[in-house]
Amino acid sequence: MMAAIYATLLIALILELSGRRLCAVSCLSVSFGLCVWLFLWEIYSPEYGFRMPWLRAEAVPLFGPSGTC
Amino acid sequence: MATIERAETPLAVALDRLILLAMLAALAGILTAAMVFQYALGELPCPLCLLQRYAMLGCCFGLLRQLRSGESERGGGIAMIFAVLLLIISARQTLLDLFPRPGHEYIGSAIFGIHMPVWSVFIALALLLGLGARLALFDALRSALTAKHLLVVRLAQALFVYVILICAVNFVSVVLQCGGGECHTFGYRLLP
Repeated sequence: MMAAIYATLLIALILELSGRRLCAVSCLSVSFGLCVWLFLWEIYSPEYGFRMPWLRAEAVPLFGPSGTC
Repeated sequence: MATIERAETPLAVALDRLILLAMLAALAGILTAAMVFQYALGELPCPLCLLQRYAMLGCCFGLLRQLRSGESERGGGIAMIFAVLLLIISARQTLLDLFPRPGHEYIGSAIFGIHMPVWSVFIALALLLGLGARLALFDALRSALTAKHLLVVRLAQALFVYVILICAVNFVSVVLQCGGGECHTFGYRLLP
């Protein structure tokens, strides 16, 4: 899949250099779509989905029993 | 209805093109440095690192198109889209590696104490800032490069060929590393 992403980008760059702008943008769009798909596949975990549970944000009251103000 | 005249002085056009060239040259330099780390120091890129390289090359595509055509802002728009993609991928990788866990730590050497995904966040922000500043300063100039900008034209052509070369080398490298499958490798899959 990664090879396909780079191949379509390389083709897009060569088409752009040769002046075939519409074909170049079409290739770039295909490449962009593949990249987004691969990125989502890479970051998806069967256990956590797209979440990142190792990042924990906790609301700490500024005023009250646990607050220090 | 009164129309507002655009101030498209030769200096403004030259400055606009110089900003684009500077961004392009910086990206080409960063990609070259990444390749030096890969081939000279043996640091194999991870899948998200390869996607960040791809997003930078996509930015190069947009900048090159903008340099070659002054009639529209499509190239600048493409560069912005890929800068946002770079920001999303690098921010996610930074968040993945932020908390040290087994199998999840920053890959590769730190440069000035900062690892590549974090640098990529800064690079994406700098690109977005540069593209925004260009629009704010020059208001989408409508003037293509002419014979008067010979140096800029030649530099843009040279950088175009260089970016294609970088992309071709990366393509061959990705094929050798990943073959047709996924890129979670510790070596070049197709090399003995």
